[in-house]
Amino acid sequence: MSEITRRSFLRISAGAAALTGVHLPKTARAEAAGSLSTLIDLSLCDGCANRKIPACIQACRSINRNKIPPVVDNIPEPWPRKTIEDWSKKQDVTNRLTPYNYLYVHRAEVTVDGKRQTLFVPRRCMHCDNPACATICPFSANHKNQNGAVVINPNQCFGGAKCRDVCPWEIPQRQSGVGIYLHVLPDFMGNGVMFKCDLCNDRLKEGKKPGCVEACPRKAMLIGPRKDIEAEAEERARRMKGYIYGQKENGGTATLYVSPVSFELLNQTMTRKPGQPDMKPNVERRMVGTDPLGKAVLAAPVLGLAAGLLGWFSRRKTKIKAEEQGHV
Amino acid sequence: MSEKIFPEKNLVTRHNATELIEHWAIAISGLLLLITGIFELPVAKRYYIITVPGLGWSADFITSLYIHYAAALVFTAAGIFHLIYHGLQSEKGLLPQKGDMKASVTVIKSLFGFGQEPPMHKYLPEQRWAYVGMALIIAMLIVSGLIKTYKNIYAPDMSLAVVLTATWIHNICFVLFFLAFLAHMAAILLRPNWPMVRGIFTGKVRLNYARHRHALWITDLEKNEQSVDP
Repeated sequence: MSEITRRSFLRISAGAAALTGVHLPKTARAEAAGSLSTLIDLSLCDGCANRKIPACIQACRSINRNKIPPVVDNIPEPWPRKTIEDWSKKQDVTNRLTPYNYLYVHRAEVTVDGKRQTLFVPRRCMHCDNPACATICPFSANHKNQNGAVVINPNQCFGGAKCRDVCPWEIPQRQSGVGIYLHVLPDFMGNGVMFKCDLCNDRLKEGKKPGCVEACPRKAMLIGPRKDIEAEAEERARRMKGYIYGQKENGGTATLYVSPVSFELLNQTMTRKPGQPDMKPNVERRMVGTDPLGKAVLAAPVLGLAAGLLGWFSRRKTKIKAEEQGHV
Repeated sequence: MSEKIFPEKNLVTRHNATELIEHWAIAISGLLLLITGIFELPVAKRYYIITVPGLGWSADFITSLYIHYAAALVFTAAGIFHLIYHGLQSEKGLLPQKGDMKASVTVIKSLFGFGQEPPMHKYLPEQRWAYVGMALIIAMLIVSGLIKTYKNIYAPDMSLAVVLTATWIHNICFVLFFLAFLAHMAAILLRPNWPMVRGIFTGKVRLNYARHRHALWITDLEKNEQSVDP
């Protein structure tokens, strides 16, 4: 608690300093001590061809199987748009993202230099450096932790799906009929809870690896300090004359894919559907356009202060002048 | 003094140009903040607001954020300007005075036909309380909004305790601001307040109205004008 308070204080101080123009970081901090990244090496992933379900998916499902509480029998019908998203009777689905499945593996058939290749692309939340899903959640139910994990608190989420709308990959998935909204105004406000990969944040706190990383039999997934993972990704990409995805996408992410095949080509094998994101290279962080205006807002108190002082000074001058003239 | 009596025109200056600009900067930006604040909730699609002509953008949270930031820039700068400009001049006419609570009850009762209004200054006693309430709400909105903006740009991994505190202060004050706005509008609907409406558009109110309802203010003004006149 004392650490939180100290850090909060430091950040607020930084904010106050920022307002006076003393110091402003250039970008969102993503390299705080303890910040982690993951690496997914597509040259190693074989989609667990010998298993019914890839080991990463199996481990993820096993760890998260009790995350969603029982869904109410009669899910309230939202008003006026009557959208209900209920996956409780389709919990076995593993070929897309669902509230019960936070990871799936896309099979990509590509032809490179006339040679046909099959690649397997595990897909889950990218844990972006500055995730819009978290920063503009109206209830701050979704938050980026200092270790890099972007985590939704199911006890605070109303399931409005704003996070899915602003995510370039539409990763979070909604389960209606669970969550706090049932106790407030279920017909008029909220529609369930959003679920997605949380990088096994509870396991990270215990010093363990995320389930998918630990379970991968081919060690196609790694987790480690951000700088180390970035260096490893660069080195692997250099060795295989390959490509990296996740460094620039959506302003940078804590997930780096390394692939011997270009992501333009891989993206062509992906048709964007609900729960099945594409992999468009250089996908922009839409909030980046709002940043200059946001910085102007942070400077607004200084602007108001300067204008107030100037106005007061000018009025005082006028008053003194008038008084002097009155005496003459 | 910008307050001046124009007996030949039956008018008296109630607000100068600076005050009018301050009021309208805060009012218009505040209204935009309210609307785009609502659109930052996932309501536009659900409630078919996007089908209203001209509001097709309302479900795009990033577009709403652009407008929210632009309005917040004006709102924050105007709020701080107000505090500094009037604070440094020790203008206390809008701050509650001793006995205002009791006087407010008398005035409100009189608005509904019970009893008579006491002689009043430029601002009514309940207006002064409303001002303090609104100022506190605005201050909380500005501070929490600045923290949220800083988080959006520079520190998405800011302490969760700080983020949650700022978020809930912002959300609660958003509701209070909306209620205060409705109360402000409701006050305009009351007939005795109608003559004040022209004041917030033109800066001037009718002198006979002011003499009748703001007798203490006009007496002070006339005394001042006499002392200035040679």
